[in-house]
Amino acid sequence: MTTDVVQTPRSSRLLEIALRVRRANMALVLVLALLVGLTIGAFLIIVTTPSLVHSWATFFSHPGATISQNFNTVWFAYEQLFEGSLFNFHAMRLLLDHPNKANLANALGPISLTLQDATPLIVAGLGLAIGFRSNLFDIGGQGQVIAGGLIAGLIGFSLNLTPILQVSFELVAAMIAGALLASLAGVLKAYTGAHEVIVTMMSNYIMVLLMGYLLITNLFARPGVKDGASKAVTPTGQLPYFFSHLSSGLLVNVGFLIALAAVFVVQWFFNRSKTGFELLMVGQNGEAARTAGINAKRTTIITLCLAGALCGLAGMLELTGVDHFLSPNFGGSYGFDAITVALLGRNRPWGVFFGAIFFGAMYAGGEAMQAFTPTNIQYSLAQVIQAVVVFCVATPALIVEIFRLTDNGRFRSTGSSGGWTK
Amino acid sequence: MKLELRAVTKHFGSLAANENVDLIVEPGQIHGLLGENGAGKTTLMNVLYGMITPDSGQLLINDEVVDIRDPKDAVTHKIGMVHQHFMLIPVFTVADNIILGSEPVKPWPFIDHRSATERIIALAKEYNFHIDPSATIENLPIGQQQRVEILKALSHDAEILILDEPTAVLTPQEADALMVIMRTLKSQGKSIIFITHKLKEVLEIADVITVMRLGQVVGTTTPAETNEAALATMMVGRDVNLVVEKPPANPGEVVLDVTNLFVQDDRGLTAVKGVSFEVRAGEILAFAGVQGNGQTELVEALTGLRRATAGSVLLNGTELVGRSVRDVLNAGVGHVPEDRQRHGLVLTLSIADNLVLDQLDSPQYKSWSGRKLKAIQENGKKRIAEYDIRAQGEDEPLSALSGGNQQKVVMARELSRELKVLICAQPTRGLDVGSIEFMHRQIVAIRDEGVAVVIVSSELDEVIALGDRVAVLYDGMIQDVVAPTTSREDFGLLMAGSRPAVTGATL
Repeated sequence: MTTDVVQTPRSSRLLEIALRVRRANMALVLVLALLVGLTIGAFLIIVTTPSLVHSWATFFSHPGATISQNFNTVWFAYEQLFEGSLFNFHAMRLLLDHPNKANLANALGPISLTLQDATPLIVAGLGLAIGFRSNLFDIGGQGQVIAGGLIAGLIGFSLNLTPILQVSFELVAAMIAGALLASLAGVLKAYTGAHEVIVTMMSNYIMVLLMGYLLITNLFARPGVKDGASKAVTPTGQLPYFFSHLSSGLLVNVGFLIALAAVFVVQWFFNRSKTGFELLMVGQNGEAARTAGINAKRTTIITLCLAGALCGLAGMLELTGVDHFLSPNFGGSYGFDAITVALLGRNRPWGVFFGAIFFGAMYAGGEAMQAFTPTNIQYSLAQVIQAVVVFCVATPALIVEIFRLTDNGRFRSTGSSGGWTK
Repeated sequence: MKLELRAVTKHFGSLAANENVDLIVEPGQIHGLLGENGAGKTTLMNVLYGMITPDSGQLLINDEVVDIRDPKDAVTHKIGMVHQHFMLIPVFTVADNIILGSEPVKPWPFIDHRSATERIIALAKEYNFHIDPSATIENLPIGQQQRVEILKALSHDAEILILDEPTAVLTPQEADALMVIMRTLKSQGKSIIFITHKLKEVLEIADVITVMRLGQVVGTTTPAETNEAALATMMVGRDVNLVVEKPPANPGEVVLDVTNLFVQDDRGLTAVKGVSFEVRAGEILAFAGVQGNGQTELVEALTGLRRATAGSVLLNGTELVGRSVRDVLNAGVGHVPEDRQRHGLVLTLSIADNLVLDQLDSPQYKSWSGRKLKAIQENGKKRIAEYDIRAQGEDEPLSALSGGNQQKVVMARELSRELKVLICAQPTRGLDVGSIEFMHRQIVAIRDEGVAVVIVSSELDEVIALGDRVAVLYDGMIQDVVAPTTSREDFGLLMAGSRPAVTGATL
């Protein structure tokens, strides 16, 4: 039995407060996770920066200098991480002193980059969360993102309609494409029992290679040039930027609003819709769902179609909002990062939303960290630090354990497979 | 060997599973431990067997304090336990299961099967067990499997045997055989702690009866000093009506007409072999029979979960075979499934949600804008009050409820639909006296409202108490349909597959 024996309350009020603080809640766990991640990251920065490693040679003669040098470097790197992703104080002050377009654009830069990176992750993360809630592990996010991107691209550069029509057309087609690809896994799972993890994962390879092939066919390649980059989406097929009048560098676009809308829709879907409830039932107890007259096969297919549709949408948003043309590494690691985002957000729509924003911030901040630190932090190190922080945030059970928080098993369950759905 | 537990206390959070429990088991005594589910019997035995460390309390063997930290300690102190769910490996032989964990190795690392088998044969002879050491467990009937468990404990020289609800899984004949075994063990000086909530059995076999309620010992008595009603009152804490009050049935039109039904099980073997019966409005047809004689498949076929390979199921003249589960439910078939946790409920969802699990399409709970959360909640509140479901509130996850209350949720949900037929499989399995009384009253009430009721139960008492007619299933066929007044012996014979000249009227 792992049930903790209830702490016998003592009269001390201080102890009571301490106990209350120790009780794990999401905010506390997140803050502590960030702290642990950044501490490990700091260690990594120190051991990989030659000048800092050397500084420890003089630790016994000038301990103050050594510590301050190390601290300053780490602090500066993290400052970049923060300023590159959320809020740049210098740019803000400049804006307040000289309010003009250029300064406003600079101040908005970091947050724009974060949201731009987060947009496809929000949507794909929501898609995968739908699957996870129903105990279906759609690992094919990458392939479905590509499917959405390919169709959106095809419509994007071959048509020239009114913007609203063309964008809607792209959006619907991309969702259908993603859904169709995922439905393959759904149908196979429902009627033959083929495991969706294998089918969706294999579909990733197929889609990556199919895209590689399509990009050198005349259908996608620019006339006469076969370098792997496709034609560009016509301006009428692109999602409008929010701040194009300020600067051409602010790429946050209408896609973010679409992603936000998707959060509300999925929220409604889980809380209020019948299908959402059925899907939850099938995920939690398939046999009971069947006994209650729910067609589990149909639900499985619908679930994977919805997951695929949202991943397809993510591909469309990325292509028509940011990239505007396809290249062989289109989609990047969105399909896989979305898995982490979904788990990070505990498969709750708003959890996924903030998880994606966190990921976007780490992308954006990581770039800034390696670009601006004088100590030459490698981009790969920035990614390692990013990964360490994500690791800590994604494993609340570890944090609860490290800090010996009392949690009644709330966070610990994430480790088991049950954690995927809860 | 004398065993004594002194002031054992174990809390789980704020729940007192055991509070100052004292228990003395004398050598050669059969000690009945009686109590409702959740009364703390199993916790106490787990303490004794070293699976739970108590918060406080002492364990004495032959008047000496001993410390038992894990089941291994318990075995060294000659305590043996037969769990309700057997801890046997189905694909191993009897001998292999018995020596598992203490295999004789000679020469190392080879298992000395021959001496193991010889020892088991000797042991079986000593206690008069008829068992083949080379048989594979999965091929043995449940009663035999239980004997293997007992033999396993005896092979560790157990002096005290804990039997956790041993009769729950047995046929009446097997239960009788177990009683004989228990008496043999007793005559050899072994002590037995017999956990049960069946009053008849404990009165029949126990020397001393200890009754527990809400983690505490309510009293200790002997069969000579007490009777069923008094024990039930002690267990539940109030007077319990043990006999279902049932006015004679008033059967109406035939509602459910099943003809020549054939159903296959998961392995593709025919499990239901040409069953035909009718159920009229306002009557209860109870199916008796030992588990595994086609009951599960029959119920699944009636509710659309399993497709019948041949035959027909007519509900007021409409064919149900081949229709989806949804259609069958909508046609007015209520279903209380055999395994409520696996088939009847979603434990992680709230009580309110579970109360509408099969009514998602009902306009009462669904509008154009989605599920009507408020209506679902209101319904939850109403049913909790109506069915006296003990819960913190309708938003509480179902897993927080006790078995009896979980079953109430299933029953409340099914009865809240418009029903023509109610099919209840094992409606009171694992429930305590209080909950059984409640369930039985509900079932009789729905019958009197004119619903045709089908009960499938492996509990003979229940079948006799509820059924207006009793069909006995054996090997996928209806052996006979008899009156509930038929003698227990005749029922036993029917359930075992023979056809006695039944004295009561064959119906």
